[in-house]
Amino acid sequence: MARKAKPKAGGFVPTTVEVEGRTETRIVEVPAFEPEPWTTDTPLHIVGARVPRMDAHEKVNGRARYTADITRPGMLHAVIVRAHTARGHIAQFDASAARALPGVYDIMGPGDAPAKTRLFGTEIFYHDQPVAAVCADTLANAERAARAIAISYNHLPFAAIFDDAAAPDAPLVKPGGNFAPQSPVIIERGEIAAGLAAADIVITREFRTPVQLHSALEPHGACAEWEGDRLTVWESTQGIFRTRGDVARALDIPQSKVRVIKDYMGGGFGAKNGAGPHTYVAALFAKRMNRAVRCLNDREAEQVDSGNRPATVQRVTIGAKKNGTLTVIQLSADVPLGISGWEGGPAQIYHELYACPNVRSEERFAYINASGMQAFRGPGYVEGAFGLEGAMNALATALRMDPLALRRKNFTKKDPRQGRPYSGNALLACYTEGAERFGWNTSRAAQTGRVSRGVGLAAQVWPTGGGPPSYAHVRINADASVDVLAGTQDLGTGARTVLSQIAAEALGANLSHVRAIIGDTEHLPYAGNSWGSMTTPSVGPAVRMAAMDAQSQLFQAAAAMLDTTPDMLDARDSRLTVRNTDRSMSFADVCKRLGNVMIYGKGSRGPNPANTAINTFGVQFAEVEVHLDTGIVKVLRIVAAHDAGRIINPTLAESQLEGGILQGMGYALTEERILDRRLGMVMNPSLHDYKIPTMADVPQIDAFFVAGADAAANHTGARGIAEPPVIPTAPAIAAAVADAIGAEVLQIPLTPWRVLASVPARR
Amino acid sequence: MAISLPMQLTVNGRLHRVAEPQGTLLDLLRDDLALTGTKLVCDRGECGACTVLLDGRTVYACLTLAAACDGTTITTVEGLGGVDGSMNDLQQAFITHDAAQCGFCTPGQLIAAHDLLVRHAAPSESEIVAAMSGNLCRCGTYPKIVRAIQAVAAARHESSATSATPGVPRGA
Repeated sequence: MARKAKPKAGGFVPTTVEVEGRTETRIVEVPAFEPEPWTTDTPLHIVGARVPRMDAHEKVNGRARYTADITRPGMLHAVIVRAHTARGHIAQFDASAARALPGVYDIMGPGDAPAKTRLFGTEIFYHDQPVAAVCADTLANAERAARAIAISYNHLPFAAIFDDAAAPDAPLVKPGGNFAPQSPVIIERGEIAAGLAAADIVITREFRTPVQLHSALEPHGACAEWEGDRLTVWESTQGIFRTRGDVARALDIPQSKVRVIKDYMGGGFGAKNGAGPHTYVAALFAKRMNRAVRCLNDREAEQVDSGNRPATVQRVTIGAKKNGTLTVIQLSADVPLGISGWEGGPAQIYHELYACPNVRSEERFAYINASGMQAFRGPGYVEGAFGLEGAMNALATALRMDPLALRRKNFTKKDPRQGRPYSGNALLACYTEGAERFGWNTSRAAQTGRVSRGVGLAAQVWPTGGGPPSYAHVRINADASVDVLAGTQDLGTGARTVLSQIAAEALGANLSHVRAIIGDTEHLPYAGNSWGSMTTPSVGPAVRMAAMDAQSQLFQAAAAMLDTTPDMLDARDSRLTVRNTDRSMSFADVCKRLGNVMIYGKGSRGPNPANTAINTFGVQFAEVEVHLDTGIVKVLRIVAAHDAGRIINPTLAESQLEGGILQGMGYALTEERILDRRLGMVMNPSLHDYKIPTMADVPQIDAFFVAGADAAANHTGARGIAEPPVIPTAPAIAAAVADAIGAEVLQIPLTPWRVLASVPARR
Repeated sequence: MAISLPMQLTVNGRLHRVAEPQGTLLDLLRDDLALTGTKLVCDRGECGACTVLLDGRTVYACLTLAAACDGTTITTVEGLGGVDGSMNDLQQAFITHDAAQCGFCTPGQLIAAHDLLVRHAAPSESEIVAAMSGNLCRCGTYPKIVRAIQAVAAARHESSATSATPGVPRGA
């Protein structure tokens, strides 16, 4: 068995973990043993195989139960009432008519919710802020009562865009001021003045990106039920333990009294990272009425108040030598966060994608009177890539240089911020293989009639190391079936399948005997949120270690039965064999002899390698067709080459790439929340008016992985892949559109009107 | 005004009597008959997640009044395969080709794809796209859905000489 001694096992050490561009130091336990890494040459049978998604059966026969499908005996329905002003105070609140309606059980209004839930204050900070909630026997009755609540407001001036919030005479967006506590965030290395002086060519551009809405098809929702002082919450969430912590804190009860369950989930994309108003409303009504209560966002609530990717304005100055060597990158960015959010701006990628000695970013984060931002797949990097890669493409044009050659020229062998070596970096191979499969060297803009074709590319970096803490157990049952227990969650990404593959491989079990049990805080060991492309590199190693521990115990037990020693045993396909003999025994026979003796393996995620940058890289190439008279853009094809280390399941990973590309395409072409500056209202809160891509919009996609295992990242060799593919798509498409129309593209989405406005008159 | 009448309809081959259908067909399926496979997403006919077959034609269950379904025959995703959860060839192809990520839109996709293959045994790619573009998927599973449908069409064509009407759902 592959183990290497760790002197510090059992102790605690600090380690760094990068979560969506933010580096955190954590104190973590050193695992009892550190498995030898699975390298590219390690012969693996189940890891790396195109295994069908293991929970697909329930998804295709309608039996998969999502949070929205949960019903409990006697369950009531709750509806949230939302504010009709962007800023002000509730002047009058009258729920008497609503209370008199049939089926109404309870109403909560101003002052009725515990302070820590931050619900139902009388001061309004954004349009559609929750102000009250109704609980009734049916959803229809709850909705009827919600409409019958009479609320009047004293309206106050507000700021719905960055410039209004940042103006000298701006109204107060909320107490504490109009800028986030850390704003402005300045990050710099080198000397900008020296970089400008060293440049032969300097260009400056201003880029604008829109507010993008997550638009998960399953809305945010929770079902809550109390048994005595214990609360169970079924929640559509990317983080069951974080949701548990939020609920315990808000309701002032111990975490041990809160159980959060998430089985199937209809997408999250970053917006479902903890408890929300719907969670607290369900839990509070359930307590007050002593009945189970379900509270689901309707589509409008989901589109107006469940998180978003904030808009940006990015002023970029970039300079280079004649040979393309970057000497300076400077970013000044404005980000309106909404009423809340964190400083997840566009700057990080400017510091990380290229070798450049002089880089400075200054990001201003303003609060505005609009629903708060939340992480959205590749937060910050998606926005930043549009500006940085747009500037790189403009620079390439100014230098009369091939944009791919410009990127090769500025490839960085070390993390340019801290000078750390990469655990692995196959970006150059991505460039080469992507360009070859796309035919980059032979692709040229061309016009046929009034239809013009163009090509473009953009690159990507994203921190995907994952990290501790994360735990897993592997349990071998009396019939040799195997349970993998981990408190993680599957958003639709394939975590159940990937973790089962890792367990089966490490244990030597037949995959069909393995089942991953996830999504329940009461019975499963801790795992972190499924965000930051972290689940596979965080939970995967813990699962592998737990399976190795279980295998070790199984070998100990079976050695005597097979008249050998544990070190002479191998396992594969749920069968033990004694090396160099023909003696063997099935797991089932061993377990039969053991009866109910439980083999229970434990694993944990060890610290990250010290002083090492762990990133996923990639490049995407786009070819588009632009109709010069209508401004309509059709994306013809995307070639995507990414390096994410070992791919546990290529089919599922390719699905992640395709999905990311399509969300990036929506961001490039159609997706934009329209917030009226004068009303503070979202004007397109539906899937009709907010356009996500349909099947008719899908280009030809050739998405693939470059490189093998990244044994330096963690002992499974896998890095994350969920977020990287969405990062370069929009700038690649924008570059292709610019190529097609012969003019730069500085703002997305590329609606027909914007494209028409950009088409030079002579075309 | 609430419509109040007893009515009968056949869902996935089983006859149901409903006393007071007040809402939409989607409410009836999900709340009264506990067939939660059919999903509510937009509630206004924009996304296709609630697509079911009504007398053999696709409808949006969220836009169909339950009271208007007296005497009709409905097929939902639960009725595509066997009562025991066994799958038809289309469902199997969705698994094989990874045509479901989070799976929330999948029931509607399957019904729309089923309907397409009933109408066109051998649809071209553009016919598939035209028929399926009313069914939104936020995970971006579209390329895999196209492949799954193409695979089923090809396999049915191949086996049409030897096998009788594959993939016909109960009650359709």
